[in-house]
Amino acid sequence: MKKIIAVSIIALMAIALVPQLHFAFAQESKTGAKQYINLRAEVWNEFFRMTTAAFTVGAVVSGTMIWLVWRFRESHPKNKTPTRWEGMDDPTTGSYGEGH
Amino acid sequence: MVLELKKARPVWQIMFSTHHTDVGLLYTVTGLAFLFMAGVLALMIRTHLFFPGQNFLISDSVTFNRIFTVHGLTMLFLFALPVANGIGNYLVPIMVRYKDMAYPKLNAVAFWMNPIGGALLWLGFSDTSWVSYAPYSVIRAPGPAADMMIFGLKILGISSILSSINFIVTIIKCKHPDLPLRRVPLFAWSMLTVSLMTIIAMPTYAAALIMLLTDRLGVSGFFNPSLGGDPIAYLHLFWFTFHPEVYIFLLPAIGMMYELIPRFSRKPLYSQGSGVFAFVMLGIIGFASWGHHMYSTGMDFTTKVVFMIGTLAAVPASGMHVFNFLATMWGGRIRFAAPMKFAVGGIALFFSAGAGGVLNSAMPLDFISHGTYWVVGHMHLFLTGTIAFGFVGMVYYMFPFITGRMYSEKLANVHFILMLWGTVQVFFTQHLLGLAGMARRIYDYPPEYTSWVELNQIATVGAWILGAGFVAFLANLLYYSSKGKEANMDDPFGLGGKYYYPYQAKNPHHASGY
Repeated sequence: MKKIIAVSIIALMAIALVPQLHFAFAQESKTGAKQYINLRAEVWNEFFRMTTAAFTVGAVVSGTMIWLVWRFRESHPKNKTPTRWEGMDDPTTGSYGEGH
Repeated sequence: MVLELKKARPVWQIMFSTHHTDVGLLYTVTGLAFLFMAGVLALMIRTHLFFPGQNFLISDSVTFNRIFTVHGLTMLFLFALPVANGIGNYLVPIMVRYKDMAYPKLNAVAFWMNPIGGALLWLGFSDTSWVSYAPYSVIRAPGPAADMMIFGLKILGISSILSSINFIVTIIKCKHPDLPLRRVPLFAWSMLTVSLMTIIAMPTYAAALIMLLTDRLGVSGFFNPSLGGDPIAYLHLFWFTFHPEVYIFLLPAIGMMYELIPRFSRKPLYSQGSGVFAFVMLGIIGFASWGHHMYSTGMDFTTKVVFMIGTLAAVPASGMHVFNFLATMWGGRIRFAAPMKFAVGGIALFFSAGAGGVLNSAMPLDFISHGTYWVVGHMHLFLTGTIAFGFVGMVYYMFPFITGRMYSEKLANVHFILMLWGTVQVFFTQHLLGLAGMARRIYDYPPEYTSWVELNQIATVGAWILGAGFVAFLANLLYYSSKGKEANMDDPFGLGGKYYYPYQAKNPHHASGY
C-alpha cells in the first residue's frame, strides 16, 4: 500500500513539475536566435496537466468512496451483525475508547 | 422538541416565540420558501437560454439581468444563510447543553430582519448582479431598485452579525461547564467558525454598501472614476467579505455532514480534533484568498502569487474533512436513509467542485476561465452540489424531530436521484460551456454557435430535472408533515442509537412537554 501511495505521489509530482523545466531552458539560447514561449499553448498545457492531476486524485477518492458505500452498507452480507460501537450513548462525539 | 402538526399550535405562537427551536423553525421554513422562489427564477434563466435568438420568455436583457441578480441574492442571503442559522438555532443550544440561545429576543429580532430584507430585494428587483460591481452600480443602475437592494443587504448583514454574536456567546459562554470546547460537536464548531468569520468579514461589506449608496446619491465618489474614485477598490472590499462568505455558506453544510455521517454509519467520528483543526484552518485561510477573484484587474505578479498560494492552502484543510468522512464510514454499518444519501452525494460533489476551484486559482488558468460559464458552473457546483445537498440531508434528518412524522423514503429517493443527476448535468456542462468561450451573464447568443446551443440545451434539460427533484422535495415536506406516519421519536431512523435531541430541548410553549 505504501509503495502504491509513494508511486502515485511521485507520478503526480512528475506531471506537475517536469513540464516546467523547459521554461528554464527557454532562457538559454546557444544559437543566438530568440526563442518565444507561446503563452496560449502554455496556458492550455497547464490546464490539461492540472486536469490530469485533478482527475487522478478524483478517481482515487471517488473510487474509495464508491467502494466504501458498497462494502459497508448495512445490507452487505458481511454487515449483518451490529458493530462494536452500536449502543454508545452519543456516537457523534464519542471516541473509540468510550462506551466500552 | 416536537412540533406536532396533528395538534398544531397557533401560527402566531411560533411567530412571536423567542425559543430557539421556534426561531430555528422560522429560519428554516423562510429559507426553504426563498429557495423555491429563487429556483423558479433559475428555471426561467435556463429555459430562456435553451432557445437562442428568441425572447418569448424573457423579453429584454434588463429583465434578464434583474432575474439573475435576484436569483443570486436570494439563494445566497435568503436561502443559504437562513437555513444554516435555522438548523444552528435548533441544534446548537442542545449540543452545548444550554436552555436557549444566549440572547433569545435578539435572536428573534435577527430572524425578523430576514423577511424585511428579502422584501426589499424582491420588490426592488435590481439589475446590478449580486456583486453590484462599480461603476455600473454607481452610475447606471436604475432608480430605486439598486437603492432598495443596498438597504435590503444592509438589513440582512446586520441580521447576520446579530445572529453570529448570539452563536459565539452561546457556544463559548453558555456551554455546560462539564463540556470542554474541544468536545463540542462539530456542527456547533462549524457555526462558531462561521460566526467569527462573519464578525470579521461583514463590517467591510457594510462599509462598502454605505460608500456605494453615498456614491449613488452623488455625495461621494469612492468608486466613481469621473470623480477620481477607483472601482477596483469596491472589488477589494467586496471580495474581502465574500470570499470568506463562501466558507460561511460551506462550513455549516460540512458541519451537518459531521452530524449525519457518524450517526448513519453507526460509528463514532474518526477524528474530532482534525475536524476542529480543519474548520479553524479554513476560517483563517478564507481571508487569505480574496484576490483570486481579481487576477485580471491588473494586480502585480507577486500579489497574485500570494493569493494563489493562499487559495491553494484551503486544499489540505478540505481534504482533512473528506478523509474524516471516509474514515468514519470505513468499518461502519451504514444505513442509507435519505439524510445519508444526500451527505454522501454532497461529499462526492464537494470534491469535484473543489478540484474546479484549484484550477481557477492557478493564475494562468484563471485567464481562460475568468468571466465565463466555467465560473458559474464552479460556484453552483459548490452551492448546489455541496451546500444544498448538506442542507437538504439535514432537513430530512430533522423532519421527524420537528413534525413528529416520517417523510416518504421513496419520494426522498426520487428527489435524491433527480437532484444528483440534475446537478451533474447542469453544472458540469456549464464548465464545458466556459471552456467553449461562453461569457457569463449574457442574455442571448447566436444560434449559429452550434456547440453553445447543444451545451446550453443539455444544461437546461439538467435544470428541469433538478427542478423536478425539488418539486418532489416540496411535496414530501408539505404532504408528509401532516399525513406521514407517526415517527418513533426514540429512534426515527431505526439506527439503534440513543438520540439526545428530543429529550433535551423543552419548549415552554408546548403542552406535550417536548
